[in-house]
Amino acid sequence: MPKRRKILFKLIIFIIFILSIAGCWNRRELDTLAIVFGVGIDKAKKPGNIEITAQVIKPGEMKSPQGGSGGGGEKPYWNLTSSGKTIFSAVREFTHKSNRKLYFPHNEIIIFSEDIAKEGIRKYMDFFIRDPEIRRLVWVLVAKGNASEVLETKAILEKVPARNIAQLIEARAATSQASAVRLQEFLTRLMSKTTAPIASVIEITREKKEKIARLIGTAVFKDDKLVGYLNKSETRGLLWVIGEVKSGIIVVKSPGGNGEVSLEIIHASSKIIPEIKDNNIHIRVEITEEGNLGEQTSAEDLTSLPAWTVLERRQSEAIHNEVRRALKKAQELNTDIFAFGEAVHRKYPELWKDIENRWDEYFPNIEVTINVNAKLRRSGMTTKPPKPE
Amino acid sequence: MKLEGGKISSSHLTFLMIGFMIGSSLIFIPGQTAGHDAWLAILAGLAEGLVFAVIYTTLAMRFAGKTLVQFNDIVYGPYLGKAISIAYLWYFFHLASLVLRSFGDFFTAIIFPETPMIVFIVLTALICATAVRNGLEVITRCGLILVVTMSLAVLTTTILLFKDMKLTNFLPVFDIPLKDFIKASHSAATFPFGETVAFLMVICFLENVKFAKSSAIKALIITGLLLVMASVRSIGVLGVTAPIHTYPSFQAVRLINIGNILTRLEIIVVGNLLAMGFLKISVLYYGTVLGTAQLLKLRSYLPLVLPIGAMLVSFSILQFDSVIENIFFTFEIYPYYVIPFQIGLPLLSLIIAIVRGLPKD
Amino acid sequence: MLRFLAKKLHFLQLLSQNSEDKQESKSRESSQTSLSRDITQNLKVLKDILGPSNDINIREFSFGYEEKVDAAIIFVDGMVEKTTINESIIKPLMYDSHLFTPKESQTITTSIDLIQRSMISVGDVKKVDSFDELVDDCLYGDTVLLIDGSHEALVISTKGWESRGVQEPKTEAVVRGPREGFTETLRTNTTLLRRKIRDPNFIFESMQLGQRTKTSVCLAYIKGIVNPKLVEEVRRRLKRIKTDAILESGYIEEFIEDAPFSPFATVANSEKPDVIAAKLLEGRVAILVDGTPMVLTVPMLFIESFQSAEDYYSRPYYASLIRTLRFIAYTITILAPAVYVALTTYHQESIPTPLLITMAAAREGTPFPAIVEALMMGTIYEILWEAGIRLPRPVGSAISIVGALVIGESAVSAGLIGAPMVIVVALTAIASFVVPAQSDTATMLRFVLTVFASVLGAFGIMIVLLGVLIHLSALRSFGTPYFSPLAPLSPRDLKDVFARVPLWAMFTRPRTIGWHDPQRQEFRLDPHPPPEESEK
Repeated sequence: MPKRRKILFKLIIFIIFILSIAGCWNRRELDTLAIVFGVGIDKAKKPGNIEITAQVIKPGEMKSPQGGSGGGGEKPYWNLTSSGKTIFSAVREFTHKSNRKLYFPHNEIIIFSEDIAKEGIRKYMDFFIRDPEIRRLVWVLVAKGNASEVLETKAILEKVPARNIAQLIEARAATSQASAVRLQEFLTRLMSKTTAPIASVIEITREKKEKIARLIGTAVFKDDKLVGYLNKSETRGLLWVIGEVKSGIIVVKSPGGNGEVSLEIIHASSKIIPEIKDNNIHIRVEITEEGNLGEQTSAEDLTSLPAWTVLERRQSEAIHNEVRRALKKAQELNTDIFAFGEAVHRKYPELWKDIENRWDEYFPNIEVTINVNAKLRRSGMTTKPPKPE
Repeated sequence: MKLEGGKISSSHLTFLMIGFMIGSSLIFIPGQTAGHDAWLAILAGLAEGLVFAVIYTTLAMRFAGKTLVQFNDIVYGPYLGKAISIAYLWYFFHLASLVLRSFGDFFTAIIFPETPMIVFIVLTALICATAVRNGLEVITRCGLILVVTMSLAVLTTTILLFKDMKLTNFLPVFDIPLKDFIKASHSAATFPFGETVAFLMVICFLENVKFAKSSAIKALIITGLLLVMASVRSIGVLGVTAPIHTYPSFQAVRLINIGNILTRLEIIVVGNLLAMGFLKISVLYYGTVLGTAQLLKLRSYLPLVLPIGAMLVSFSILQFDSVIENIFFTFEIYPYYVIPFQIGLPLLSLIIAIVRGLPKD
Repeated sequence: MLRFLAKKLHFLQLLSQNSEDKQESKSRESSQTSLSRDITQNLKVLKDILGPSNDINIREFSFGYEEKVDAAIIFVDGMVEKTTINESIIKPLMYDSHLFTPKESQTITTSIDLIQRSMISVGDVKKVDSFDELVDDCLYGDTVLLIDGSHEALVISTKGWESRGVQEPKTEAVVRGPREGFTETLRTNTTLLRRKIRDPNFIFESMQLGQRTKTSVCLAYIKGIVNPKLVEEVRRRLKRIKTDAILESGYIEEFIEDAPFSPFATVANSEKPDVIAAKLLEGRVAILVDGTPMVLTVPMLFIESFQSAEDYYSRPYYASLIRTLRFIAYTITILAPAVYVALTTYHQESIPTPLLITMAAAREGTPFPAIVEALMMGTIYEILWEAGIRLPRPVGSAISIVGALVIGESAVSAGLIGAPMVIVVALTAIASFVVPAQSDTATMLRFVLTVFASVLGAFGIMIVLLGVLIHLSALRSFGTPYFSPLAPLSPRDLKDVFARVPLWAMFTRPRTIGWHDPQRQEFRLDPHPPPEESEK
């Protein structure tokens, strides 16, 4: 069948052409990537510009043994800076200094400096959402100070500061006194009419002549501008309400009066229930919590039922106080960080249409009832404290 | 001389229809304009689509063994019938090129930004051409395996996202004005349920035409469920941010993160799109080629495959200049453009057939 | 230039057609020659035909009591059992003819019938009267007895030659199960099969293929289970073969297969009688070829390559696990290099971060892009494999250590290749041995996938996989769809695809092959305790 052979022949030539023309436009060998682990955004010296710091890792150096930076090994990362009017233009500017194009999909954190955040973040958000390389699971942080300095902090157990910070965020669950906000979450809050965006806060502290990063508290935005901070107990108050408390320690006074008791939080959940009473909006927050007796400095026996009940009560009070403090701060800043507005929307959609646009007037005056149901479950390996009978 | 010797069984038809309807719908989930009530819009669209399906299968069962092109001649007479058949063939062709275009847009937007779109379109068209040349039976057989795999993938990704879904994203229910809801559900009905009109070219090859109606209904219901699942997945995970995304399904799957190990799974979405898109394009391509061959009274449709393929490729590239035009067309123009093809003409054909007592045996 | 070549080809074609015609007419001529009554004449013709080969012995003798009759036996030294000739042919003729009375001996010596019936004490004797048949049989180990005065000759079966005994086949070793394998002698093979299936409906049909090799080919099937049209089709395709030589079953396979351009084989083969017997019992047809232990079976399904004999002799859970493992291994062997290339070149975002760092570190300083590495390593691996087969035994293991360790290790240390690539190739290599029947197609697929992956990443891989799926779905082996029971789907047959269902649940034969006699065993054969004794 000569005809079929001719067709086959032409087809093969055709495929060879296609494959070679269809060159490899998007081909990127691994050693042409500059893998970015962390991004920091600061104000540039030139007004109106922003400066971006990208922390790029050096894969070859990552395998060298631990031991700080001793042993003649170099830093396994490189912080590049560049500036521009918009983020995308600044990112491309990096190629003036870096021989490899920046590669973002493995980025873990985005840090905005305080100054930038105060001016308004929305205009910088668009790049991170539109670009397909950036993932929505990255953490969003606000730096007290300069973002580029934060990326220069020393990481002891990790090789790369950005990795260190990301792991700090994941470790926050142990105290639940810092928020952790992913880009997706931040975006959701940004796009909501009434809920205020929040972000984690990172600051630089000095310890034995070395700069170390410290994750604590929450940054609160109104609309897209940074307006205030929550300290650690206020943050935990916020987390109680939105149900993000995973673990932590509550220190209460011992029932006998002489000493402190540490109670470990095991499990917590919350419900936000809006109600309309006498034409006023009323929010009821129900918090359920379970804890364990972790430590006592006093010498009394706390495992008797009356003492136990007192402890539970003190625990509830502590939680109650933390939530109150958070609420007070939020109402002071007039930022609905708890998403109360959304709760009202869900339950009273008709009413919401009217008050949606005037939520700012309502929020500072909302009455909130906090009901805490706190239980203590276990007491660890011992029941009585170690003292002679 | 029979143009297509193959016969397909009713379960195969069900799978093929599911694959066809899922086509590119997993990426552009229908009913998006209804916001967080999109899943309701899909269900409403399903109801409307079932009505369409009943009309189509009744027509097909009436004219058992004849494709759309063939029975148009009987219903409308030789001249008008041929004109209407040409209009339908144009619709199938256009739809195939639209799907090809969505393919190209998706790949060049997300994964291969620098590669020209023509590469994807040409290769996809080539693969579909191979399938069409091998005949309907082969398309159906592939369809089965691909649909089963796809359903498993959708199920798995949805389950993996359970922990990230917030039920509060679905409340309040039915928050949307009725007019908008009807618009959204109608668009869901036309894309994808109403596109099964293409199967009027295929149903006649069933082994037993009696099962056409039940197969079609089963297929629509299962597709509806799958789409609802995908929609629920997107809404639950993306919530309020859903409307700004061009490809919500893709973005939702990107958020899967189980213990930092099961992550970065978005390649599954790409695979699904390719598999289902392939099925949809192949069926439409096949319908066009077969119909043209029947119209021109050819002995075999094979020589038409490559030329029509080439036309498909060039048309998909030429029709829109940018993604924005594509989106505008899909959401604003398409729901109205298809009304004659999906509702008007089949209903008219059915009425005429019943009134005139066709086909006369 | 092309036209010149085309003309040349056409000319050569005409030439060969011409010579073919001549050969045909010549062979037609010789088949018409039949024996004459004169023994000297016959011997002269035979000597002409057989030529001067020194392994062809012609022993002339005479026998009879009073009147001696001339006779001659012709046989091929080395192919015959000398004892039979001496004891059962020459001896009875020479000595026992003394026992007959003169009158009887007259008739005897002139009647070859009587000789055949009363004097040759061998089991298989037949009369022939054409030189063609004579020569055929003589060249296959039979002895020809010519009697002066008779226009017929006797062909006495005395086959006996050196052959390899029945051993365990090296390519299909099992842990549990029979270790017999076919040998190069057709009769031994048919015996081995006959011992497994003692059904009188088990039929062997024989024919000769190959004009110069005149290879005996045997068709085996079980009447009543097999589809008669299938047998008819196999017969038709075999008869169509008109070639010089059939040296191995592979030759026949290439002539009868459905899709010669497909990389997938549509004819199965095996060296073990129990495997072939099982396939026959499912309704297939087997083709045995003299001179090779590889027996063909048709039709073939894709999943057969994943089913090994041992699956059915072990317990079901383990067998199912191993079956699944085989599928995974097959996927690894065709996809691993392609996926590696695609991920590291186009889709680095899909690799987990720690792995990406390791891979990037490994790639620092290596000169070649991932695709070149992959192809290079793939080629080196194929070279090593091919060399491993041909190496003499004592050197074999040393070279494989050299190959694996030295080349792999050194290449990495020298910075030629990244370590992950070596691992990927090693994994691919090992995985390819899990499904040996498909290892040649796997190699080709792997190559195509890697090339497409290097050009278009994951999209390229998926397109090729789709293409393969379409091809597999469209392929038919002797009328049976190649990819059943997956496509077209028959859920009943899935019981033997991904998992191996216990034997007491395998009620039916595969639908597309054994539909003539679907049920193979009774229901409710699963082991269960006896029913309760009824109350007295």
